[in-house]
This record gives sequence, structure tokens and C-alpha cells, in this order.
Amino acid sequence: MPLVELKDITKVYGTLIANDKVSLELNKGEILAVVGENGAGKSTLMKIMYGLEQPTAGEIYVNGEKQKFHDPLDAIGKGIGMVQQHFMLIEQFTVAENIVYSKEPRKGMFFDRAAAIRITEELCEKYGLYIDPREKVKNCPVGLQQRIEILKVLYQEAEILIFDEPSAVLTPQETNQLLDTLRTLAGMGKSIILITHKLNEVFAVADRVVVMRHGQVVGNMPIKETNFDELSFLMVGRQLTSTVIPQVEKGEVCLEVNDLHVTGAGSKEAVDGLSMHVDRGEIVGIAGVSGNGQSELIRAITGLLPVESGNVRINGIEVTNRPPRDIRDSGLSCIPEDRYLWGCAREATLEETCIMYLHNKEPLSTGGWLHKNKIHSFVSDTLEHFDVRYTSVFQKMGELSGGNAQKVVLAREVMQHSPFLIAAEPTRGLDIGAIEYVHHALLEKKKSGDCVLLVSSELSEVMSLSDRIYVMYDGKIAGEFTRENAVEESLGLLMMGGKLNEA
Amino acid sequence: MKRKDTGRLAALLNTVSLPVIATILGLLLGALIMFLSGHDPLKVYSVMFDKSFINVNYLNQTLTKATPVIMCGISGAVAWRAGHINLGIEGQMVCGGITAIIIGLYMPGPAFLVTLCACIGACAAGALYALIPTFLQDKSHVSLIMVTLMMNYIANYLSTYLVSFPLKDTSSVNANQTMFIDDSLKFTRLFSNGQLSTGFILSIMTVIAVYLVMNYTSFGYESKMSGFNPYFAKYGGVRERRVMYLTMALSGAVAGFAGFVEVFGTKYRYSSNMIASSGYAWTGLMASLVGQYNPFAILFYSIFFSGLTIGGQALQRDFGIPLQIADIITSSIMLFVSINIGIHLFKAGRKQRTEKKEETGNKTPAKEAA
Repeated sequence: MPLVELKDITKVYGTLIANDKVSLELNKGEILAVVGENGAGKSTLMKIMYGLEQPTAGEIYVNGEKQKFHDPLDAIGKGIGMVQQHFMLIEQFTVAENIVYSKEPRKGMFFDRAAAIRITEELCEKYGLYIDPREKVKNCPVGLQQRIEILKVLYQEAEILIFDEPSAVLTPQETNQLLDTLRTLAGMGKSIILITHKLNEVFAVADRVVVMRHGQVVGNMPIKETNFDELSFLMVGRQLTSTVIPQVEKGEVCLEVNDLHVTGAGSKEAVDGLSMHVDRGEIVGIAGVSGNGQSELIRAITGLLPVESGNVRINGIEVTNRPPRDIRDSGLSCIPEDRYLWGCAREATLEETCIMYLHNKEPLSTGGWLHKNKIHSFVSDTLEHFDVRYTSVFQKMGELSGGNAQKVVLAREVMQHSPFLIAAEPTRGLDIGAIEYVHHALLEKKKSGDCVLLVSSELSEVMSLSDRIYVMYDGKIAGEFTRENAVEESLGLLMMGGKLNEA
Repeated sequence: MKRKDTGRLAALLNTVSLPVIATILGLLLGALIMFLSGHDPLKVYSVMFDKSFINVNYLNQTLTKATPVIMCGISGAVAWRAGHINLGIEGQMVCGGITAIIIGLYMPGPAFLVTLCACIGACAAGALYALIPTFLQDKSHVSLIMVTLMMNYIANYLSTYLVSFPLKDTSSVNANQTMFIDDSLKFTRLFSNGQLSTGFILSIMTVIAVYLVMNYTSFGYESKMSGFNPYFAKYGGVRERRVMYLTMALSGAVAGFAGFVEVFGTKYRYSSNMIASSGYAWTGLMASLVGQYNPFAILFYSIFFSGLTIGGQALQRDFGIPLQIADIITSSIMLFVSINIGIHLFKAGRKQRTEKKEETGNKTPAKEAA
């Protein structure tokens, strides 16, 4: 008998069918991966299972008993726990305090701090997930914060753990640790549901995989009986085209950075004497573990962070420390790395998001007056052209899924037809269909004779698209490669701060 | 095209539903209080609404009272939606009022020219008064909220001094007030009975003008986006400081304009404390918040809140129910709406924290690498 069984779950939001008769089984000690594109209904299904949403129709069975979850407490009571994508931790509290929160050990009427620390240590010991119970959460890196979330769920005696895109916020190293943790937990008899769209993680840990598309289950098979191509075909609903790199004649220099120094947070020299250039007709990649000054470099180029010394030229125009608008006027557009911080406002409508920067240019406005009709048709065309799934241009950005929101930001920046585009982590958190789309758009941009600076912590992405690659480490360029001589091992070594032995 | 309509309608319903629910809850709470104090809520409400919105004479009073409230609400909305918490509308209105009366009393020339100068002068005075705290915030990061709030007192006491000494009408012994402006300067009254003047029409024109500026100009767009997410605006090439100064100047100018209309349209002179004691600015701000910065919603709620006060006065006369009952109803509505706003703020705060966490999350590997 399966541990958990979902039968014909249907969830309807207004006119949108998020889940359409979805059935799913989870066995004891099993890692079940649920994959699908953004908006395929994975998260909705898990919210139903965790009691955050009530299904419109369908039944949930745990241990063969029919359940009705009114809220997460009901689900927790049945041993279901969820590790959220966005951590629900109290940053000012210690690790131990966060773990026992809502089920605190008491001594009389007081909180028993010593017991909390003991409990945490026991948990760490039992599951092999070590962490200092006395450390404040705000001092823990993201990977450890996730570990706290996991321990919290384990403390609540969960037998079934749901992980919602757990690797979205992690570095590659942290992701590997997480995958190890998943295997350990499954080995101890816990059942795990892993929601993800990263297929390599699926193949690394899952026993079985369920594929969802448009709210329906389109595949359910043991991992041994499937392969990468089949899964991606099922997820996207079509064959992925292989990327063809167009051959473009290299043009004149577009971006020139000379001996750039930028101070980052905590008065640390984030960019430390960096020089580089990007020529027309090429895609230049910046590879590096995130946090090595890439963000500061981009912000300095786009005018969002002051340049200490050195200079930046775009199309021959000196733009060092100019306001962002002037820099954009000189021929730059930029897909920012954090789409909700820089790329849009969650409360703004799609229309408002799409016209940023273009709003005071012809033909969308004259003399400060917006042309509503032109804006409306421009925005509709743009969104159609970039295949954004939306219901109305008056929808709020916050209502779109991450992938769609990214497409809106991408669409806006590409539609500016500037000669130079910065794409910072353009595919972070996106599913394979959307990633393919973004890559295609970047290559199109190159084909039209423009140039792209691609900054990404996904090495494979940088290597597959770039004509030239800079490796960035500790605010400096650690090495430069052409497409022909880029070897993954050498790049990886430089990214970690190593040195190449020149033969 | 169908897409467009449903989207707009849904957005509108979304905006309208919460304030309406809050209003109904507020009225119910008011009814409960009346019931507990031994009055028949239905009877009281019917009198209250009759003597505020239905009976023509009272409606006239309601709209007269609403005139400055509408403009104060609009002034608040202009600044607040751009993320600048302007609590100094009262002070800016006082500046406008006092400038208007000085020009009205002492400037020679044809009536229309004096009126025009008073109008421009009042708007300029309000705008300048709003720019002082803006400048302080920009240059030395002084809290805009605190400074705008405190500057209300400066403006009010300064105006009290002016009307008590240099501008005082010496023929009135007890009251500290100026002389009346010339009859030729007074706004035309719309009806033979009641005080309602062309000032009300001006306030409606303000509503329309600000609506157009906010929704159909790139300045309005930039100002709105700065309010939603200043980082996004900056990244997109909005000159955020320029937009901030312009926004605050516009907010102050509308408040100053309200002062001008109050002096030339209703009071015809300036007596000490007349703007501060009326609470126009605060009622307007309330309308602005309940109406979620939508100019037309502000128009509606300003009239509604003003009507509650006028109706409340009638209750006091007819039933001996204290005026505070009306205050309780307006406050209850405000309470229910602010619960809603509170939830919004809470959500926004949580969102910001997660965003910050994501940002710090991105930075942590740097620590490890270093």
C-alpha cells in the first residue's frame, strides 16, 4: 500500500485549471521527483498536499485513510512536512530556537533553552546534518538556512518531506550537499517528494519521476526506465532543438572596461582592477562562482554603483559614473540578475513593466504624454512575440510565474534593440523550455550584429553560448578563453581560485 | 480586446471591494454603538443620511466641506503613491491660504488678475513648503515623515502670528483674523442658498487634472514606478531625485491650491487656526488611503466623510446624540480599512525581507571564497 495517495485532484482558480485530475502515489523510503515547466501545476499540487490549498475535487489518502487537510497543521499531524523555497525563519533567533519554534520544550511556563539546544544536537546527530545550534540564523549562509528548515520539519516528526525547488537558491556545492542529504534521509526510511525542473538532480537522486504539463500528469515511471531526452520531451511537449551558434563577423569594440575598481558591500574591493572588452557580433561570457564581483561589475557598468577608478566606454562614449539613463542612451540594455529587485515591480502591471525606459521615447510618448493606444499594442505584440503566458496586460507582475516574469523582463530589454545587451543570470530558476527560449533570444541578438555580455554561474550555459569567456575570481579576471580552447576543467579550476600550469 | 476588458474590470473590482466592505462594517459598528446607547440605528441613519446627502441644503453644506478635503486627498495621493509619506499637507495648505489672503488683501489691480496671482502664489507657496523637507531628506537623509509632520506646526503658528499682529483686522477686538477680501474677488456661489461655490468645480477639475497627469504622462508613470520599487525605477533610467522633487512640489502645490480655494471660495478671510482646526488635511489623507490613491475614489470618499460629519451635526441637534458618533463611524471605517492596509504593509515587509535574504544569499559565497 502506498504511503500517500492523491486521487484525481483537481484545482480550479477562476477560469484557470491548475490541476486536472492528478493522481500520484508515494511509497515509503522513496524519492519521488515531480518535474514540469513553471506553471505546470507542481506547486499547486504540493500546496494541496500540505493543506495550504483545498482541492476543488479529488481525495488524499495517507496510510490508506482518507484525509481532509484544512491547514498545514492537519498535514503536519499526519507526518507531512514541507521545506519551502522561501525560508520561513526568524533571522534574529538562533538555530535551535528556530527549530523548536511552535513546539518548544518548556520548563514550567518558561522556554527551556538548554533543552532546545540538546534537541537540536540530537537531531543533527541522528540525521548527520551538522549545524551550530547557538548560531543566529542571520549569520548562516543560504545552504545552512535550508538545513535548518529541513531539521525543523524533521523535529515535527515528518515522515514525508516535500522539497519545493530546493536548489533554486543554492550554489553548486550546496546543491551537492543537499542531494546527499536527500539520499541519507531516504535511506533512513523517510519519503521524499522533490519538486524541481533540473533534470540532472532528478537523475542523481530520484527513484521515480512524475512529469506534469498543463496541470496534468503526462508521465510516471521509475527513473531507470527513462532518460534525459524523454523527460524533457514530456515536460516541454516538443523536441528541444539543439542550439546552433550562428557565425557572425566580429565588428568594432562595443564595451570597453579599463582597470575598473568598484567598492562593494562592507567596503570590500568587489571589482579589483578589471579590464575587458566586448565586440559587436559576439557573445562574451563571464564564468565564476557567484559573489566574485560579477554583480558589482554589472551594476558599475549600468550606473547603479559608483566606480572608484578606471573607466567604462560603450560604443566609444565615456559612461563612467553617468546616470543609468544616459548609459542606456549610449546603447545598453540589461537583464538584471535579480528580476524582482531591479527588473520589475511586483505591484506594477505587465504594461507598466514593459514600457520602462521606452516610456519617454517616441513612439510611446511625445512631450511627456503617453500614447496609451500605441503602448497597448506595443506591449501586446511584445508579449505575444516572446510567448509570455498572461491573461491581461493589466495583470500584476507578481501574479506571473518566475519564468514568465523573466520572459517579460527579457522581452523589454531585447525590444529596445540596443547594440549591447547585458544578460545576468538570465535563466536562473527557469525550466528547460524557457531556458531554450532565452538562449535562442540571445543568439538572435548576436545574429543581428549586436553583442551580449552573459554573466552566469551555470558554467554549461556560458560554455555553450559564448564566443569568448572570461573567468572572474575575487574581483579580477582570472583567465580568458576562446570558444575553441575553453576546457571545463581549466575553467572550473580558475573559478575556484586555482592557477593553470602553463605548459 | 476581450482580454483587456476583463482584466480592467477585475482590477477595478479588486480595488473597490475592500473599501466597500470596510465601509459597511464601519456603518454596522456605528449601528451597534447607537443601539447600545439606546437609539434606533435605522432611524438615526436615515436622519443622518437625509441631512447630509439627500436634503439639498445639507448636501450643499456637505459639498462645501468636501471641497478642500478632496484637494487635500489628491495632494496626499500624489506624494504617497510615489512612496513619499507627506504628512505636511496641512502646513502646505496653510502656506497657500496665507499667501492667498496676503495677495487678495494687498495687491492692487483688476479682480481677475489678483485672483490669478493669488492662485499661482498659493500653489507656489505650498510647493516650496513641501520642497524644504524633500531637500532635507535628499541632502541629509532626514525623515520626510517627521519633518513634514513637524512643519505643520511651524506653518500654523506662523500664520497665527501673522493674523494676530501684522495682518490683524483691527476692527475685531476678540478674534485674531484678517479683513475680508473684496466682494469682487469672492468666488461665485453656485446656488442662492448655501455656501457652495465655484471652488467645488475647481476641486473636481483638480481631480481630473491629477488623474490625467498620473495616468497619461511619463512623469506620472515614473512617479508611480518609484513608489512601487525605487530600484526598478532607477535601473530603468528614471531620474529618481528629479521625480521626487517634482512629485513633492506637485503634492504641495495642490495643498496650497486648496488653501487658496478655502480663502477665496468659502471663508473670504484668514482667521487663526482656521485650517488646522478643520482637520481637512487629515480627512483628505484618510480619503486618500481608503480610496487607494485613485483620484475618483478620493472624490467619492471625501464627499462621503464630509457628509458623515454634516449628518453627525444634525444628529446632535435632532437627537442629542453627540457629534462624536459620526466620528466613531468614520473612525470605524478607517479602522477596518487600515486593517486591510496593515495586512498589505505586513505582506510587503515580509516580501522585502525575503528579497533581502535572496540578495544576501547571493553574496554569501563571496564570504566563503574570501
